[in-house]
Amino acid sequence: MTIIEASTGEIYPVEVLLVENEDYKSLTKSRYFFNWKLENKWEVYKLVIKGKRDILGLVSIERIPSEWRIHIRVLTVSIENKGKTKLFKNITGNLITHVAKIAVSEFGQLACISLRPKSSIAQHYIDKYKMNITGMTLSLEVPEIINLINQYDHE
Amino acid sequence: MSKKQDIIEVDPEFGVYSKYKSTKEKKQDAVALMQERLARMKHLPREQVIRAKLLQLKLQMEKYLKDPFFNNQKHFTHFVETYVDAIYSKRNDFANDINVTPVFLSKVINSHIEPTEEFILKLMIHSEKNFKKLGEFHNKIWYQIYFHEKLCKTMSNQNNWRPKIEKQVKHSEMIDI
Repeated sequence: MTIIEASTGEIYPVEVLLVENEDYKSLTKSRYFFNWKLENKWEVYKLVIKGKRDILGLVSIERIPSEWRIHIRVLTVSIENKGKTKLFKNITGNLITHVAKIAVSEFGQLACISLRPKSSIAQHYIDKYKMNITGMTLSLEVPEIINLINQYDHE
Repeated sequence: MSKKQDIIEVDPEFGVYSKYKSTKEKKQDAVALMQERLARMKHLPREQVIRAKLLQLKLQMEKYLKDPFFNNQKHFTHFVETYVDAIYSKRNDFANDINVTPVFLSKVINSHIEPTEEFILKLMIHSEKNFKKLGEFHNKIWYQIYFHEKLCKTMSNQNNWRPKIEKQVKHSEMIDI
């Protein structure tokens, strides 16, 4: 999986790893928008450039095996990667893809990932990631979940 | 809600905050979503189901290779079985396609005999085409799985072989590091 430096177009390989306890010291609200310590009892992953420690984005998930589904609770990029002046592109896409891979690995053709964004930004996720909409919930299943993984998961 | 949460809510580039507000909301959502999903799944073409199964297999194989823990379980034959059953309704058809007897295939899958090198090579070539449409796939992964399992089995059984082997190993040239 890779991200792209917005200013130069240079490509950097990334990895998505489980957040460790010591990471929470650096996960400030000013940089990562939420009190991520509140998520420490959930499964939380960080996205870093391979070989580097700086955390560029985070995602917290809840596995719901009875529904073959993984729900994305919270997902953010770091403040330097927001909006038009972002340093790197594709952080969010890579984090969603990581969750998608877990879902497909666990649940195969029944795999589903879901999230519940505010209606004002839901259309962005529908358009960019081809998500389905059911009430307030956006979801991704086969075949779109496979297409997403193929799009982002390459060396 | 804090100002920064508001910023995130209205700008998708920051991320998303999508925790359920209550158990009731979570359950209601789950029921509605499952109904929609089941309706969509009914119309899922067979090719997409196979595609999903193969991707699942690929991800599980990659995960196994990264697993730092040794165990004595049979992974290679399990993955072969999963691969064959994902694509073929009859294993005999797969045996026919790679020019082995159904009896041989059955013995390999049930771990009654070791797979031959020729069998692994045929498996590599057969899976190349099928996995091509699933993004990055290195056909060497079958060999990697086969030998990784051998390594895991050996390392997990150290208590059985180490005492005997250690007695046969000397260090006539000791290196003082």
